[in-house]
Amino acid sequence: MKAQKLIGLALAVLMIGAFAATVQAAPTQEDLDFYKGKLVTYIVATKPGGGYDAYGRLVGRYLQKYLPGSTVIIKNVPGAGHIIGANEVYLSKPDGLIIGTFNTGLIYSQIVGQEGIKFDLTKYSWIGKASSETRVILAGNKTTYQTIKDVLDSKDEIKVPASGVGSQDFNETSVLAIALPAKFKPIPGYGGNEGEMAILRGECQVIIGSYTGLMGFIKSKECRVLLQFGSEHKIPALANVPHISELSVSPRGKSLINLVNNIDMIGRLTAAPPGVPAGRLEVLRDAYKKAVTDPEILQEGAKLGLEFDPAYGDDVQKMIREAINQPEDNLKLLKEIIKIE
Amino acid sequence: MGKGITGGHAMSLWDGIWGGLAAATSWPACALMLLTIPIGLVIGIIPGMGGNMGLALLIPFTFGMQPIAGFAFLLGMHAVVHTGGSIPAILFDTPGTGPNAATCIEGFPMAQKGEAGRALGAALTSSMLGGVLGAIFMAMIIPVLRPLVLAFGPPEFFMMAIMGLAFISLMAGESLLKGLMAGGMGLIISFVGMDPQTGVVRFSYGMLGLMDGINIVTVVVGLFALAEVIDMGVKGGAIAHTESADVKGTGVMQGIKDCFTYWWLLLRCSIIGNIIGIIPGLGGDAAAFICYGHAVQTTKQRDQFGKGCVEGVIATDSAHNSKEGGALIPTLAFGVPGSSGMAILLGAFMILGVSPGREMFTKHLDLVFSMVWVLVFANIIAVMLCLPFAGKMAKITFIRTSVMIPFILVCGILGSYLTTSKIGDILITVIFGGVGYAMKKFDYARGPLILGIVLGRIAENALHVSLNLYGLMFLFRPITLILLIITLATVLFPVYKDRVKKRTARGGIG
Repeated sequence: MKAQKLIGLALAVLMIGAFAATVQAAPTQEDLDFYKGKLVTYIVATKPGGGYDAYGRLVGRYLQKYLPGSTVIIKNVPGAGHIIGANEVYLSKPDGLIIGTFNTGLIYSQIVGQEGIKFDLTKYSWIGKASSETRVILAGNKTTYQTIKDVLDSKDEIKVPASGVGSQDFNETSVLAIALPAKFKPIPGYGGNEGEMAILRGECQVIIGSYTGLMGFIKSKECRVLLQFGSEHKIPALANVPHISELSVSPRGKSLINLVNNIDMIGRLTAAPPGVPAGRLEVLRDAYKKAVTDPEILQEGAKLGLEFDPAYGDDVQKMIREAINQPEDNLKLLKEIIKIE
Repeated sequence: MGKGITGGHAMSLWDGIWGGLAAATSWPACALMLLTIPIGLVIGIIPGMGGNMGLALLIPFTFGMQPIAGFAFLLGMHAVVHTGGSIPAILFDTPGTGPNAATCIEGFPMAQKGEAGRALGAALTSSMLGGVLGAIFMAMIIPVLRPLVLAFGPPEFFMMAIMGLAFISLMAGESLLKGLMAGGMGLIISFVGMDPQTGVVRFSYGMLGLMDGINIVTVVVGLFALAEVIDMGVKGGAIAHTESADVKGTGVMQGIKDCFTYWWLLLRCSIIGNIIGIIPGLGGDAAAFICYGHAVQTTKQRDQFGKGCVEGVIATDSAHNSKEGGALIPTLAFGVPGSSGMAILLGAFMILGVSPGREMFTKHLDLVFSMVWVLVFANIIAVMLCLPFAGKMAKITFIRTSVMIPFILVCGILGSYLTTSKIGDILITVIFGGVGYAMKKFDYARGPLILGIVLGRIAENALHVSLNLYGLMFLFRPITLILLIITLATVLFPVYKDRVKKRTARGGIG
């Protein structure tokens, strides 16, 4: 009975969504004028530095270009594996002046019902996503791991730095430990770039993280990149690094890897709180689309190693919903492996 | 280990030094640096605006610049932010940036004694010398950089934080018990917010704003600036309790002289600040406070601390600028930024086409040294710009409080708000204003509370990570053990001395 109700509700929401999508016209002049002289706060759910911040600052500048008369400011709201920032966006006034970017890995947190979450990812006013996030597994030069096979064959526990329990790196490490399988043990408590120092010192052996965030470290040749995943295809900069699809894993492993990849596909997303007036949301989506396809942003992004593979509005909404609605056995497994004390 | 970094030739080091000097003084790099130094000072002086904000504002202008010009442009600004930040800390008890919070502890009481000029002179000069010494020290340790940086991990961070917390016992003032209570309160405040180890939110009572934890500037503005405003409102008069600005031994020149009188303290704090900058993980706020604690620990006139002691200002201000030089090291050597400002700079470096790594210290040593020179020049020029006005600025403290109170209120509240951009934090500042006034009235030292907040979270997190990695064995790592012994000595020695003193006193009576 309850399930039926829920399905009915979901269908209704979907239909309204589809209806709205067809009705939505180009943003009106009135909605465009709303942004004249206004301050748009772009919340980045990390400390300054790293991939999210870099994307936020880059996209923010171009958003300003396409929201005439507005000023887009970046506000770093770090903490608790992006939950604080995502909460702040969700609970903000839906006036179209507050948008935010946070970790797609929060999908995991919502699935397992982590404490402290005050958002429902399916309800944000989605604006778009900038990239498919290429993620990498890398090993420090001090380790004996030359290839991903060495990591998988390792009999010893492999320590992996993570920012906090419930953060994407923590969850992804836990899921991949079962999926591949590998003897990864996430160590929470490494904020910012401290995980890279842990690899240099040798107290941790492997990092699982985003390519853009680790680019400085990789360029300094202090580590070996062993595997890439997240995006469907290899990226040019890592042409010689094997892709996760080249590994042979169990069917269950494959299903978990799919989950990981699906989540990483929705990389560098941008959302507004639920209930932003349709006209203003359309202005934001429109500006976002223009911003992330601007030839200059692509040029600048290439210099910074920030790739663009954008999707917009309702498409992103759909992708999020699909990722959240996991099969029952995956859900059960996730809840088991992502233990929150 | 280290030989990959220097390339092994002393010659190349000299080439790097002179090549760097030529690059830093080349056109247009030197002009761009001159342009951004005043910007950095102003950003520092405005409470709540920090170097990170400055970098984020300036980076778009660097597109298309040559790398050296780009560094000079960004570093010139970044290097001097804390220099400017000490000015409001001394004059209005409102720190311009986070690390300047430590300057308030002694700087403002000096202003109250009528020594604002001396405090400004000492702060500016030690900022400059700290920045320059930090840059020189950074150049000197390039050969041993790698082992030095990698010697400090979570167990060492934990012990350093505990060592810093042990300074509470020295900073407590007249009553050790009251000092410990204040420090304990600071620790509890530092635990507010999300715990990374469990994902559980603590002490937030459901308030979203508290999930982030409580920012140090938010607390300091309340605890110091607002508390002083209340006190001034009650007492009247001026900030300075003396009559005239021209009393001998209170002026800017005296402050400059003090830096040379206490040159040994200044040198040590520059080096400590630099090392804390080199090791990512402790943060810039910690550097100034640990140096302050060090000054209290080693001074011959401990009873003067908390009442406006110039040594405290010299210690904190030499630390915060020398730290910036140090933070460049892991950024350039490993691509791992040592502070959030450096993370932004690293992004900018990559925009400018420079990749971090060992090659920076072999093939591109001149680039590294051009940055060192920019740090040196920026620190000197910034202070030359400020010093002539220091005497005039000090006169502000002789203005009637009825004129000054609104100004300090606006300055403080604005600083609190700009730092975190949260309206709720203004309320926190106001609450701490009340707390600060009560502490002042009932003779609780406020330094320990701030120290507890700055170091509590570092200590807790580092303890968890250390236990996770090594179990209890982490205590027996060599550096950890040495730090532990120093800490125990810091805590137990005064107790022992006190005992001895009491015993001899009792003996005298008997």
